[in-house]
Parts: sequence; structure tokens; C-alpha cells
Amino acid sequence: MRSVGVIVILAVAITLSISMLIARDAVNTKINSVRASTGNTITVAPKGFFGFNGGGTPLKQTKVDALLNLANVTSVQESLSEQLSTSNSSLTSPTPVGSLGQRFGSTGGNPNGNAGTGQAGSGAGFTIPIRVIGTNSPGNALVGGANGGGTEKLTSGTTFSPTSKANVAIIGANLASKNKLKVGSTFTAWKTTITVVGIYNSGSTFADSDVLMPLSTVQTLASASNQVTSATVVVNSIDHVASVDKAITKSLGSAADVTSTQATIQAQLAPLNSVKTISTYTLIGAVIGAALILLLSMLMIVRERRREVGVLKALGAPNRSIITQFISESTTFTILGAIVGFIGGVAISSPITSALISAKGGTTTTNTGGFVRNQGGAGGFIGGGSGFTPPAGAATGGGQLRFGGVGNTLTQIHTSAGWSTLAFALLAAIVIAAIGSTVATATIVRIRPAEVLRSE
Amino acid sequence: MLKVANLDKTFHTDAGEVHAVQNVSFDAQNGEMLAIIGASGSGKSTLLSLLGLLDAPDKGSIDIDGVELANLDSSGRTKFRSRQVGFVFQQFNLIPNLSAKENVELALEFSHWPKEEREARADEMLAMVGLNADKGSRRPAKLSGGEQQRVAIARAFAAQPQLILADEPTGSLDRGTGQKIVELLRAAASKQQATVLVVTHDEKIAQQADRRLEIDDGVLKEIA
Repeated sequence: MRSVGVIVILAVAITLSISMLIARDAVNTKINSVRASTGNTITVAPKGFFGFNGGGTPLKQTKVDALLNLANVTSVQESLSEQLSTSNSSLTSPTPVGSLGQRFGSTGGNPNGNAGTGQAGSGAGFTIPIRVIGTNSPGNALVGGANGGGTEKLTSGTTFSPTSKANVAIIGANLASKNKLKVGSTFTAWKTTITVVGIYNSGSTFADSDVLMPLSTVQTLASASNQVTSATVVVNSIDHVASVDKAITKSLGSAADVTSTQATIQAQLAPLNSVKTISTYTLIGAVIGAALILLLSMLMIVRERRREVGVLKALGAPNRSIITQFISESTTFTILGAIVGFIGGVAISSPITSALISAKGGTTTTNTGGFVRNQGGAGGFIGGGSGFTPPAGAATGGGQLRFGGVGNTLTQIHTSAGWSTLAFALLAAIVIAAIGSTVATATIVRIRPAEVLRSE
Repeated sequence: MLKVANLDKTFHTDAGEVHAVQNVSFDAQNGEMLAIIGASGSGKSTLLSLLGLLDAPDKGSIDIDGVELANLDSSGRTKFRSRQVGFVFQQFNLIPNLSAKENVELALEFSHWPKEEREARADEMLAMVGLNADKGSRRPAKLSGGEQQRVAIARAFAAQPQLILADEPTGSLDRGTGQKIVELLRAAASKQQATVLVVTHDEKIAQQADRRLEIDDGVLKEIA
């Protein structure tokens, strides 16, 4: 009965430690998942810049280049967003004006103005401008940041180098089709002949109407020397996004809007981090508790069996042999306790995790976002045809502001026990058995058979 | 042959020094049974501990078949004890979670008796003390006091030791059973040519020994 009692107590302690381990792993996985989903990029745009309708003064490229010197920054993708219309280009936009565009044009608005200086629209004569993106990162120019989302994939031709100054362009498949262009064709922009070197497809109707050109070329042709309208700063680790965000803000000052979702995410993840800490300490406490239980139990068992130990020594049993016997007993206790504890821990890990999270952060769904800038969100371009479907990252705007953020529910945490959990249970059992056995060993060595037998 | 010469053992207690064994000397032949009698606290158990190598004497010598044992270290005493000394206790002191046969095999294991021969040897020893296979398969709690002491005797003689030390072997048994146990000890000593020292309060038991020794305040003398 005593042995059963020891095993049950050990099982309870190991159950607690296993459930805490599973809870900790589940919360950790969730934290990493949420953080990974927000990416390790920071978007930099001129203050007030918001797509075609935004204002702001373009950033100085030299200052943006300097961001590469900040700690933990691995790359800086720069772009300059400009527009082409029938007045300064031979290209025709493939995007239909649609009812929105006509309505906006008839009210005398400024649907295609660049920084508020474009021509007045008229419903009848209004055409959709063509976006030109000068980039030093072809292949990623449409990803995130102020340029909207989407990832362009070349369907024909080649790309240009990040430092190219040539009058070349990669154009979207829609634009190529509308203007009957193919690789090797030319068009004019800012009275300059531009050669099409590649055609891409991004999966976005709007983005496939764009023109991508080398950053230096666009700066020269558009008389925008040393100007960029967007930069995406890539950080080497999600853990460093917050610090780099601060460093960029400090570096660029009030000239730029610096946005990343990490700061918001960190605040939202605080309760989960708290649960992680609690589960870690409880885990350690449970293992130590189990070790103490076994240690005291073994001490009691050895003391009760002093006479038996004395007899064994009298019969000629070496200490090593007796110690091995007691260690095997304590190991058996802990292995049985670990098996029961593993099963129990797996069984109660889910409710315990839920209880911990409920206690720290409430039971309702918790969005990580709030008022979050959506990476690659539908842009701020208000015009467009009636059939325009805002794709992920279609517009030129600085991203969509919306409630809801990444939409993850922090309390929807899946608990599971893998091999690592089982390995922990075995490791814990071994550690507990080892600690428990040391006392037995020390006591056994001190027992003198003559004293034990003299008391008969 | 056992030769004990000038054996001394003194304990230092809060009340002062206790001379448990003083200048004890005696010889015993192989196959001989000696009875040691004495009052409580006279030094019987201490003498038995010294002879059984459970404790080291302050001075003097213990010689078994030409091997000097008094100066062995702890490891050496353990090794010698496992092969050349057998114990029979008043309270039997069998391992409770082992069967009678396993208790006997345990002594053979400690003495490094060949593994493949231990089972047969245990059966032989149990048969020698009059226990059949059924009794041999039982745990001590399922045996009577007399049967447990028989198992203890089988265990003590199993490894063919030179010296058997029996501390009040009949103290927990009725007279009839005790008598049988003494006869068993005597027969086993004769058969295996081991020296048997029996510590007892019972004068009738002592009288069955080949020789009687009396210890008083640590001083041993032979009774004619």
C-alpha cells in the first residue's frame, strides 16, 4: 500500500508537470505562430502618404539607404511610385473606369492626382492612370508596404538588376495584353523609349496593370532624384522588429510613417507570455516536488528497512548491490508514476491550459490587431471600374486600415503531446529517481550491520 | 580451524569507556560446535560481531584456516564474510519479499556461487533442513517460526562457510522446535566441517555443544 501511495503521489506531481509542459508548449507555439504571421518586415512611407490620394513629401533615398546600417536590419527594399497617363505615355490602362470612376470624375474630384496636383476629372474623359513602380527589389516590388501586396512572377523575359539604370521595364500581363506588348516591345514614358524585358503575373487584376522599372531610371525620368515613396525594411528576427521599428522612427523622425504590427502583437501576447511563465515555474516546481516526494519516501523506506539492509550486509552483500536494489525500486516507482502521470497530464492539459488562459486573458476571442494596417491590403485608390475587385495588395495605397488585424483567436490553442513530451516525462522520471536514490544511497552506506543486529 | 587471540573491543560512550570484549582467546576445530553463554550486556553480541567480521577489533587476531582476518579493511571483511561466515539470527531475518528458496539463493549470489548451480544448491540445502519444494516456494510470512529458522540455517550453510555464528537461534522458538534446530545445526556443522558458535541463554541448549564458553564483562572463559 505504501508503494502504491508513493506511486500515486508521484503520478499526481508528474501529471501536473506534464500538463504544464503541454500548456507551455501550446502557448509557445501559439505565440510563435502569431508572431510569425505578422512577419518580420517594417513598412516606411512618407508622412501622410496614402496611395494615389495620399499626400506627404517623398523620403530622401540617402536617409532610407542609411537604415541598412541599423542593427538587425538585413535589407531595405525601396520604391518610388509614379503614374503614367495618355499625356505622358503611349500606354493605355487596361482597367475600366467603371461607375465609381465616372461618378468621381463628374464631381470634379481628383481621382488620379499625384500628391494632389493631378488634373480634374470629368466623368466622360477620365481614364485610369497607370502605376509605375521604380524598385531596387524586382521580384518583391508588389509585396507589402505602400505598394500593396501580391508577388509578381515572370511569365516571360527576364528581370532587371536592383541597381540598373537602363530604360527597361517589366510590365503586368493585363497591361501587356491591352497594349499588345511582348518582351522586346517598346513604349514611351516621359518622352523616353522604354523596352519591355519581362512580363509578370501577380494574380491581381490591378497589379497586373503596373509597370516595374529600375528605381534609378524612374527617379531620373520623373525628375524625382533621391526620392522614394516606400521602403520595406526586413529585420533578421521577429524578436527584433520592435527595436528596429523604434530605431527607424528615431532615424527618420517626423518625415515618415513607420508601421509594423509587432508592437501591437506584443501587447496582445502579454497574457499568453504570462501563462507561459506560470506554466514554466509550475513545471519546475512540480518536478522538484516530485523529486522531494520520492526523496523523502525513499528515506522513509530505507529507514524502515534498516534491519534488512543490515542483514544483507551481514550476508556479504556489497553496498553497490544493495544500492542498486533500492535505486531499481525508486526507478520503478518513478517510471510507474511517469506513465500514469503522462496519461493524466495529457488528459488534463487542455482544460488546464484553457483555465490558465481564461484567468489571464478572458475567455472571449482576442484579436491581435485592433486598428492595424494590413500588409498588402487593398489600396486607397478610390476610382476604378465597377468590376474592380480589390485583391490582396492591389492598389498603390499605403495599405488598408481595418479592424481585426490578423484575426487570430488567441484562446483557440491546441494542446498536444508529442515525443518531446514523452521524452520529458522519462527524463523527469530519471532525474526524480536519481535525486530520490541519492538519499537512499547515502543512508545505506552509513548503515553498520553490527549496530542493526545488536539491537535484536 | 578458528584461532582467536587477545581480542579487545572498547566502546566510547557518554557514560565512559565500555570494555565489551577483553583479551579473549580461544580455538575451535572444524566441525566443532561451541556454546557461548552469558548475561545480557556481557559482551556476547560484540564478540559475535567481531568474529563475524561485522566490526573490527581494537586489537588481537582472528585466524581462520591460516588467514588473518582482524586487519582486513571493510571491503575485505565483506568479501570474506560472504564466503566464509554464515549467520543464524534469533529473529530469523529472512528477506520478506523473497521466497525461502530465493533467500538461500541470495547467500549463494553474494558468495559468487556459480549461477547455474545456485538453484540446485538451494534445493539441496532446503532438503537438508527438512523443507520440501512447496515450503521453499513460500515467502517467510507463510512459514512457521521453526520453518523460518530452518531456512535461515539453510541460508547460513549454503555457501559452505568455515564459520557459522548463531545468535540465540532458539530464542523465538518453543523448546521442541528449538531442540530440533540445535540438532540441525550440529548435524550441518558435522556434515560441512564448519565451526559453529552458538550464543544462548538456554543452559540445556548449551549443554549439547561440544564445548561451553562463558562470557562475563567481556572476559571469556571455558566451562568444564
